[in-house]
Amino acid sequence: MTALTTDTPSTTPHSPAELREKKDRRRAIALLSPGLLWMTLFMVLPMAMVIYVSFWTQTTFSVNSTLTTASWERFLSSATYLGAIWTTLRIWLIVLIATIVVGYPVALFIGLFVRNKTLQTALLVACVIPFWTSFLIRVIAWRPMLGTEGAINMILMKLGIISEPLTFLLFSEFSVLVGMTQIYCVFMVGPITFMLGRIDISVIEAARDLGASFGTIFRRIILPLSLPGVMVGSIFVSVMVLGEFATAASLSGRKTNLLGNIIVSQVGSLKWAFAAVAGVVLTIIITAVIALALRLVDLRKEM
Amino acid sequence: MESRILRPTLALYTVLFLLFLYGPMIVLTILSFQSADGGPQFPIREWSVYWYEHLLGFAETSRVSQLPVGDSLLRSIVLAFMTTVVSTVLGVMSAEAFRTRFKGSGPAFYLIILGMMVPGVLVGLGMALLSNTLGIARAWWGTSFVLHVVYTYPFAFLVMLAIFNRFDRTVEEASLSLGVSPAQTFRRVTFPIIFPGVLSAMLFSFTLSYDEFARTLFTAGRELTLPLAIYGTFSVEIYPNIFAFGVLTTLFSFTLLVIYGLLMKRFTSKASRYSGQEDA
Repeated sequence: MTALTTDTPSTTPHSPAELREKKDRRRAIALLSPGLLWMTLFMVLPMAMVIYVSFWTQTTFSVNSTLTTASWERFLSSATYLGAIWTTLRIWLIVLIATIVVGYPVALFIGLFVRNKTLQTALLVACVIPFWTSFLIRVIAWRPMLGTEGAINMILMKLGIISEPLTFLLFSEFSVLVGMTQIYCVFMVGPITFMLGRIDISVIEAARDLGASFGTIFRRIILPLSLPGVMVGSIFVSVMVLGEFATAASLSGRKTNLLGNIIVSQVGSLKWAFAAVAGVVLTIIITAVIALALRLVDLRKEM
Repeated sequence: MESRILRPTLALYTVLFLLFLYGPMIVLTILSFQSADGGPQFPIREWSVYWYEHLLGFAETSRVSQLPVGDSLLRSIVLAFMTTVVSTVLGVMSAEAFRTRFKGSGPAFYLIILGMMVPGVLVGLGMALLSNTLGIARAWWGTSFVLHVVYTYPFAFLVMLAIFNRFDRTVEEASLSLGVSPAQTFRRVTFPIIFPGVLSAMLFSFTLSYDEFARTLFTAGRELTLPLAIYGTFSVEIYPNIFAFGVLTTLFSFTLLVIYGLLMKRFTSKASRYSGQEDA
C-alpha cells in the first residue's frame, strides 16, 4: 500500500484493477501465513496425531506404531467408556439448557429493559468480573458452598427448613451441573444481550401501539431476533462443556466421568493409544455439535 | 410492555443471578479468614489472617504444607507475557490481511477461529503425543507456550477484526496521498485508531494464558505453572490456604484490569484533546 500504485500504465496486459487485486492477495497471504502456519503446526498436526495414535498398539507402559484397531475395539465394547460418552452428552445437554434458561431472562433485562447505557454497561461488567478469578478457584469455591458443612446447608438448617444436612449437594452430578452452569452462564448472557441490544425499540413500540400483548411481542419479535445470540452462546457453552474435566474431577468426587476425565486418567497411566481413542470420540462429538450449530447460524456474519 | 410486573420481576431475577454468580466467591473470601485450627468450612472459629501468612511463607511450619506458588507464579507470568506478545502480533497481522477480500478467506477464518474452539485437553493430548514421537522434551516455555498462542491468537484476531471493521480505510489513503510517509502514517493515523484494540487483545491474551490449565496439563513437563500447582492440591484435602490464594490472585487480576483501564482512559483523553486542537 504505497502511494505509487496507480503511477504509470504498465506494459503488462492486465488492467490496474486486476493488478491491484493480485497485489492485495499477495499482501494478504504474506500477512496471514505466519498465523496459519502456527495453527497448522500446533493445532492441526497435533489433532492429526491424536487420530493416528488411536490406531497404535498399546503395551503396558508405552505405545508403538504398529497399526491396530485393538484400542477402538476395547473402547467400544467397554460399558464404562460407552457410559462416559452418555454422561458427557447428558451433562452437556443439561448444562446447555440450564445456561439458556438461567441466562435468557438476565439478558432480556440487561439488553432490553435497562435503557440507561451506564447501568447497562455496569451490569454487563458485573457479569464478567468473576472471570478475573482463576477458573480452578471458581470451581473449588463451590466446595465450601455445597458441602455438608457448607454455606447452603448451614443457612437451610438455621432457617429450620431442613434438620439434617443435604448430602446430595456436593460430590454428586448435581454439584457438577451447578458449578458448570454458574461458570459458563455468562457466555450465554453476553451474546444474547448483544443481540437484544440491537433491536430497534421503535419496532416494539409500534407492535404495542397496534395492540400486541407482551407475549406476542416476545414470540414474534424479541425471540426471533435474539436467536442468533442464543446460537452463538450455545456454541461457546457447548465446546467448553464438552471438553471439560476439571469441574467433574473436583466436584463430583470421581462419580462423574466425562470423556475429558477418561483422557486425563488414561494419560496418567500412560495409556496413550486409549486416551487418543477417547480424544477422537470427543472430537467427533464436538465436530457434530459445531457443524449442526453452524448450519443454523453464520458465525462470521454475527461477529 | 407490561413492565409494571415484568420489569421488577426481571430486576429481582437479575439480582438473584448476580448472587448466584458471586455467592461462592463471597463464601470463599469469608472462609479465607479462618483461624489456624479451622477447616475449609463454617463455622469460623476465629477471624485471622493465618492462612495468608501461611501462603506467603510467614507462618511457622504446620500440618499443612505450603502451596508451591513462588516459582510457578513467575513461570505463569512469563508464559502469559510471551503468549501476549506473539498472539497480539499474529492477531494484528491476520486482521490486517482480512481487510482486503481474497480467495480462501473463509477457510482461513475458520482455521484461526478453530483455535479457541478445540478443547484444551485434545490439543494438549495431541501435542504430548507429537513431542513424544519427535523426541522433543515437554516444557512450559515450549510445548505449552505454542498451545497457549493457538488459544489466545483467535481472540486477539477477533478483537482486531472488530476494530478494523470500523476503521475507515480512506483516512489512511488520504494521509498517504497527501504525501505523508507510510511510517509516519502508521504512527500518526493507523496506530492511534487501532491502539485500544491492541490493548484489549493484549489483556485478553494475558488473562487467558495466565489462567490456562487444560492446555498446560499434558505439555508442561516437570516444571509447573500456577494453575497446575493449584490443580495438584485438588486431589488431596483442601485447606483455607487455597481460599487465601484465590483471594490474592483475584486482587492481582483486578490490578491488571485497573492498569488496563487507566491506560485506556489516558489514551482516549489524549486522543480527544488532539482532535480538540484540530478544531481550533
